[in-house]
Amino acid sequence: MSPASREISQVRRVVVTGVGGICAVGNNAQEIWDSISTGRSGIGAITRFNAEGFETRFAGEIKGFEPAELIGRKESRRMDRFTQLSVVAAREAVAQSGLEISAVATRVGVLIGTGMGGMETFEAGVETLLTSGPRRISPFFVPMMLPNMASGTVSIDLGAKGPNFGTVSACASSAHAIGEATLMIRHGIADAMLAGGGEAAVTRMGIAGFNAMGALSTRNDDPQAASRPFDLERDGFVLAEGASVLVLEEREHALGRGATILAEIVGYGTTDDANHMVQPAPGGEGAARAMTIALDDADLGEEQIDYINAHGTSTQLNEKLETMAVQRVFGERASSVPISSTKSMTGHLLGAAGSLEALITIAAMEACLLPPTINQDTPDPECALDTIPNVARTAEIRFAMTNSMGFGGHNVSLILARTDQCTS
Amino acid sequence: MHIVSASGASRSSDLGSKRVVITGCGAICALGQTVDEIRSSICSEFSGVRTITRFDASAYPTTFAAEVVDFRPEDLLDRKQARRMDRFTQFAMIAARQAVASSGLDVSIDPTRAGVLIGSAFGGVETFSQAVEAMLTKGPRRVSPFAVPMTIPNIAPGMVAIDLGAKGPAFAYASSFASSANAIGEGMRMIQAGRVDAVIAGGAEAPITSIVMAGIAAMQSLSNQNDEPSRAVKPFDLRRNGTALGEGAAIIVLENRDRAMARGAPIAAELVGYGSTADAFHDVQLAPHAEGLARAMGSALAESRLSPGEVGYLNAHGTATVMNDALETEAVKKVFGKAAWSLPISSTKSRTGHLLGAAGALEAVISIVAMQGGLLPSTLNLGIPDPACDLDYVPGVHRSADVEAVMSNSMGFGGHNVSLIFRRHS
Repeated sequence: MSPASREISQVRRVVVTGVGGICAVGNNAQEIWDSISTGRSGIGAITRFNAEGFETRFAGEIKGFEPAELIGRKESRRMDRFTQLSVVAAREAVAQSGLEISAVATRVGVLIGTGMGGMETFEAGVETLLTSGPRRISPFFVPMMLPNMASGTVSIDLGAKGPNFGTVSACASSAHAIGEATLMIRHGIADAMLAGGGEAAVTRMGIAGFNAMGALSTRNDDPQAASRPFDLERDGFVLAEGASVLVLEEREHALGRGATILAEIVGYGTTDDANHMVQPAPGGEGAARAMTIALDDADLGEEQIDYINAHGTSTQLNEKLETMAVQRVFGERASSVPISSTKSMTGHLLGAAGSLEALITIAAMEACLLPPTINQDTPDPECALDTIPNVARTAEIRFAMTNSMGFGGHNVSLILARTDQCTS
Repeated sequence: MHIVSASGASRSSDLGSKRVVITGCGAICALGQTVDEIRSSICSEFSGVRTITRFDASAYPTTFAAEVVDFRPEDLLDRKQARRMDRFTQFAMIAARQAVASSGLDVSIDPTRAGVLIGSAFGGVETFSQAVEAMLTKGPRRVSPFAVPMTIPNIAPGMVAIDLGAKGPAFAYASSFASSANAIGEGMRMIQAGRVDAVIAGGAEAPITSIVMAGIAAMQSLSNQNDEPSRAVKPFDLRRNGTALGEGAAIIVLENRDRAMARGAPIAAELVGYGSTADAFHDVQLAPHAEGLARAMGSALAESRLSPGEVGYLNAHGTATVMNDALETEAVKKVFGKAAWSLPISSTKSRTGHLLGAAGALEAVISIVAMQGGLLPSTLNLGIPDPACDLDYVPGVHRSADVEAVMSNSMGFGGHNVSLIFRRHS
């Protein structure tokens, strides 16, 4: 049936019925929350390659991930790591949701965002080309490195035949995926969407490329203290890998099949700075506009937001401008609304950051616990915010906002609502 | 405090009630560096496929591609600015400027109501492979600070947004060779939903590099008829043995029809149908009977409210690989029924090469130009029809025809299918 000919009910609400994630602080959603709620960092020395000679020698790597066991030896070898991680996260999310995709396959789409795509595959391919010549490149090289392959492979793995593509906006990619998927369901294009992001950029080129920009922390003597968003001593972000996927579903569809509703996506705003290749707009103008659009979309006032999961990368410039953006939108309340950067523990998953932070925000709402920003030793006077320093704090969270920004000037703000009372 | 008055994403959607028109087109590819040049090349049956000059391809199984020749970005863009852009972004910038100039749209009047959506399969692949080479040969500290920002696929929409001052939603779509078709279709949805009034939408790709040539060749997807490049790509022909890489960009300006009419904009066409599906079948093989493509075409046709007989031209995905052309033909028959036999179809990849993520947008522009000029582009190099491809592929010579609506198909590795339908504006 065409979207336009479908009867669009007055309001199609979009709920989350499953979440899946894998990153440096845990290999599933529960493990991730256990770490985040107790302020545990997942940052450590790089083991995926020999980082000697690199300015930064630590990152947020996943531990104990065995793709051959989880996905199959042959299948996993034909996927770049960012796709393997996306498949694992999507399976977890769909299992939790109980959604029988095969029964409604053409009405289920997949949007998996990524910043870089199959980086490790690409580097290995270029190395082969240089050392062994063009005829030694694998036929799997192109399909493994393409950034759409996470979305494509997840659809093949789970049988989802609806709209399918990747959204790419650097570090806002998976936040865009969630936002755009939400609108597809609202607009009747699909009844359910698997939306999120996957990234595996802890590679030689990932580290070298961001080091060249001066974007990474070089606190090699104390990696777990390196990601310190909003702290005066912050010196750059910590590169990390992982994936996170949400099952988004039209509310009546979810209720009709007796699904457990974890949260509702009530607001989405996206803007572009149109300012500079890699620097945010002065005063956080673009990010502020995204937050305002998300609030309007949710029909909420800023006073109703109980928690913000910040972009908070741990770079000097980001937090200054993000603070200004929060101040523009929240006014006097900017210094008291709880806001934390869980990148202090997970590191920065680039294109997968937004969806991981949505997963964390949903868990926080359910647990009635505000996740901390760890490594808060010396407050930056230019970031006069309540960053929930170092220790989680009990609080009711009815509505939460999560923000993402990417090189290229892309800004996304999502607003999530809790759907029932606190469980703890 | 409200920074903008307009809501970004309308909750109570009336998706579908707003009509979306094309008010400007820009393109650059092997056939020419403007839409007019491309049109002339199509009329003269010129092929842009020739021996590669951008790198030494002599050791490659395929030594030809459809390059943009005599491309001088520093004449068209600021010299310093051009140096800090990968070739795919340079193409995107130039095509976007052409499109906006031809539409007469002044983005600065309402910048937050204009979005930029540009698809690319690979992004800045030349920049990235050079950076990897520098890292491997000279060490990690010799990588340029511009390597990452020049590589990421979203830098094309990012830089176009900066260039035009567009402050609405801006990001990239990735669905391999359907990327720019998705960008155009999703741009239409944004306007329909009232999120923005205009979208600069399309795609850009610059894959004629040593690494992508090697990778695509390894998949046996490229023709290797090196002695006669301009005759190598033979869509729907029995002897077809693969495609040729192409490069370039194509951008269109999509606008809310009421807004466009109110400002007296030149309206080239209306975008009336968009279908987007996944095969969920195989990473690089098409689903049996190209059922995913058939669903995308069917969905676009239903949305357009046109009967199959009202579609007067189909610009096929037509890659000239053995599987693609036979299965695409099957899907056309399934969707169009009896009308399939009277539907003129052509694959302009026979002359432009395959622009990968930018192919869908370029073919959308060619389809719009075809409809406007009553000119159906031909399929080059179709001499011996494949019995499995028994429709009208406009072989060899373009044809005049009065056309009410045109369809353009795109498919990508990963199982992505997109179909777009443009209609003459009335």
